Amino acid sequence: MFTPLKRIILYALRNTRRQLGLTFVTIFILFLTLCILSSIFIFKGMADYLIDSIQQKIDVSVYLDPDVNIEQVESVKKEILNLPGVKEVEYISAQEALEEFQQKHKDDKVIQESLKEVGINPLYPSINIKAATPNQYAAILKFLENDKFKPIIQKIDYTKKKTLIDKIFSLTSNINWAAISIGLFFGITTLLISLNSIRIAIQDSSEEIEIMRLVGASNWYTRGPFIVQGILWGFWAGLITFGAMFLTAYFLSPKIIQLTNGFNLLEWFSQRSVMIFVFQVGSGIALSILASLIATRRFLKV
Amino acid sequence: MISFQKITKIYPPRVFALKNITFEIEKGEFVSIVGKSGAGKTTLIKLLLREEDPTTGKVLFYNQDISQIPTKELPKYRQKIGVVFQDYRLLESKTVFENVAYAMEVVGAADEDIKRDVPRVLEIVGLEDKFDAFPKELSGGEKQRVAIARALIIRPEVIVADEPTGNLDPYHTKDIIDLLKKINELGTTIILATHNKEIIDRLKRRVITLDRGKLIRDEAVGRFII
Repeated sequence: MFTPLKRIILYALRNTRRQLGLTFVTIFILFLTLCILSSIFIFKGMADYLIDSIQQKIDVSVYLDPDVNIEQVESVKKEILNLPGVKEVEYISAQEALEEFQQKHKDDKVIQESLKEVGINPLYPSINIKAATPNQYAAILKFLENDKFKPIIQKIDYTKKKTLIDKIFSLTSNINWAAISIGLFFGITTLLISLNSIRIAIQDSSEEIEIMRLVGASNWYTRGPFIVQGILWGFWAGLITFGAMFLTAYFLSPKIIQLTNGFNLLEWFSQRSVMIFVFQVGSGIALSILASLIATRRFLKV
Repeated sequence: MISFQKITKIYPPRVFALKNITFEIEKGEFVSIVGKSGAGKTTLIKLLLREEDPTTGKVLFYNQDISQIPTKELPKYRQKIGVVFQDYRLLESKTVFENVAYAMEVVGAADEDIKRDVPRVLEIVGLEDKFDAFPKELSGGEKQRVAIARALIIRPEVIVADEPTGNLDPYHTKDIIDLLKKINELGTTIILATHNKEIIDRLKRRVITLDRGKLIRDEAVGRFII
């Protein structure tokens, strides 16, 4: 049992060494394929980050009666937090709102003068609500329309933001669909090109396969070296892709942070390095084994 | 040992390669199958190796109908037959030593046996100084010697040679035929397909003559007459 396996591995190593041209070309094709497949994941990560950062900026402000007491605020906050889809609830008192407003417009003399003229704090205390996804705001707002909240809620700015929220919701779901469709298209195309290229490369050995069969080699004894060779190609291609992607992430990360307003590619890559490595080496190996099996199958019918 | 029984082979749409062929080959015989190109010699060999199945009729090997051998068992059957082709069919990516060793490796021979037997057989065929050469570095005659060594190494019961001298000059042709005769004298059955008149007339062994797929002559000591 071990002798045939040992021989199959030896044939594969010998073939890899003797067919250096084929080895380099195949590893290069696999490398390109894995780069494209991995880029799809990176773009998806980047798109998720951008969508998330846009969604972070959306919130709904519920303005409260100026006479509301802290117990009432806490009770409303608690009830909102219990709603499904609520990510964050923050209370901003009238005083905090005023300070924030003053800070924001500290260089605007007209506003500063107007505030002095009014003499009192014109701002309301409020509760800022952030939902996990934009499509959950409607349900949260519907809950707040309940009669029991009417005495303490002055107004809700949802209607004003509704159009924006809807737009963002539609944009993010479109981005997701586009990313999935483009990813699938490029992924499948690359896989097919790569499978075919390796298949053609192996088919050069069709005559050898026929001879092996005529000499009396069994199917697996004939196929074995091609499969082991495929494993070696896939492993090297995966390893090279991982290295190349890591270097790219290292050098491009500062630029990408600037471009995307904060997406740290190197950090994203490092956090998922084990998964990416397993994916790249695994798919490299799987791809070349599949191509070897398809290529050799035709010639094993002799 | 080998029996062709009422063999007919038709290639689509209606090309008759062999028509109702019946003959037997005994163990230890040296049988030449002669005929012009297209007479059906190669088809006959392909049927014996079960590269193809007959349209009708049976090929028996030690009374076993070879068309009944399951695909999984085919390698075992083929290991009993050494094959030598006109175009040598060597593994181009392997050295002379590796080509011959491969035939032993597929039958599961131990490494020590391979190391001992391959040099011996290469010596018999006169290639003791070409162990590490690749097929592309050899002459036609040398390639055919490697093919014979590969056929011989597994100690097959029968060696089938399909036009083994077709690509060789007269000097190497004689060389290869002498080698086959020597192997036959050691007890191995030889089936030689050829259209070389000189070889047949000099051999003075059994000759089966085919013409357009039909067996027209089967003589114990035959000559090349077409």
